[in-house]
Amino acid sequence: MRWLLSLCLLAPLAASAQTRADMQCKAVGKDLIYDCVVRLARAGEPVNGAQLTVSADMPSMPMAHNIKPVKARPGKGPGEYLVRLDLEMQGEWAIKLRLAGPVRDQLVLHY
Amino acid sequence: MDEYAVGVLTNIGLVSFLALSAYLLLISGELSFGQQAFFGVGAYGAGIGTAMLGWPLPVAVLASMLLGAIAALLVALPTLRLRGLYFAMATLAAAEMMRIAFELLHWQIDVGGERIGPDGAQGFRGIRWIFERGVEPETFLAMVWILLAAVVGGFLWMERSRLGTTLRATGQDPELARSLGINVERLKLGVVGASGALAALGGALFAYHNSYIEPRNFDMMLGVHSLSYALIGGLGTVLGPLLGAALDIGVLESSRFLQGYRMIVFGGLVAVLLIYRPRGLLDERLVDAWRRR
Repeated sequence: MRWLLSLCLLAPLAASAQTRADMQCKAVGKDLIYDCVVRLARAGEPVNGAQLTVSADMPSMPMAHNIKPVKARPGKGPGEYLVRLDLEMQGEWAIKLRLAGPVRDQLVLHY
Repeated sequence: MDEYAVGVLTNIGLVSFLALSAYLLLISGELSFGQQAFFGVGAYGAGIGTAMLGWPLPVAVLASMLLGAIAALLVALPTLRLRGLYFAMATLAAAEMMRIAFELLHWQIDVGGERIGPDGAQGFRGIRWIFERGVEPETFLAMVWILLAAVVGGFLWMERSRLGTTLRATGQDPELARSLGINVERLKLGVVGASGALAALGGALFAYHNSYIEPRNFDMMLGVHSLSYALIGGLGTVLGPLLGAALDIGVLESSRFLQGYRMIVFGGLVAVLLIYRPRGLLDERLVDAWRRR
């Protein structure tokens, strides 16, 4: 059975511009390991060239149970980034997208 | 220093505030399972202060510490007359009440075209002070550790002072302390207020670091960890909780190969440690022996 999760968030970057992060993941076959595609857009335009680091925390165990941050690599499409996540165990995860480069911000997607 | 190391060191610093708040209560003879609530009060207070009300960071942090102290005192006033496990259970119940209150808290305002503020169980997004100000992770790490060093300095001064001796005497035997003229109730209320403020300071910094908080962040698990930091590290010196926090995060980070099982293994290690060192690694006996050398 293939797992699919889709995460969307509108988060402000600054008063005049908003960064939108959309993330879609599917299982690679091994338990709880997902290949994810993150799409970043700001004011309707894709955000290219950002340095994106993805990590995740279990909300009920903040700072104690998390996954090691993974650097995303640019994808094929505009504003796309690819990352593989190993979530270690089932449960609720807050996924953090930390952006550096032309855009500096942190977005949190709740799953 | 790479991003991962900065993140781990920041986390150790953040949980150390919570560990120190639990330690302060432990050396005064009280066991609290509720410090996570004041950590949460600090986080929500700081988030509301900067993200919603536009206060400067120092004002928001100080206000959140004041809120944490007031919340702790409100819990302590009816419960401090309880002893031992009864007080521990009362603090746990109060913490759960506060967590549920966070789940019921809906207060959002329009900031720059976005709805910002606590949204019940959905959490509180957009606490972006460090990103809006362009604070680098290394700079924030330095902020956390400078504040922590100041707090530890205060503890070291206190432990060498008459106040520290009074506090430990009260913790070991409150009746004897009372017979020596110590106002035990007033002293403990002061300790509870200070521990609430300290936990709130950690919570405020956590909110800025995380940019997002939710009620589940402040559930019982965090309270158990805060106690275990102090109990693992030891109750003989203020450095004990810091050692406990570093060991906790360090062991968890270095046992990633165990994946989801590492929490179970860690729990077992804590149990074994507390059988052999019930007052922690840096317990009073070891610290006294060290001081006599």
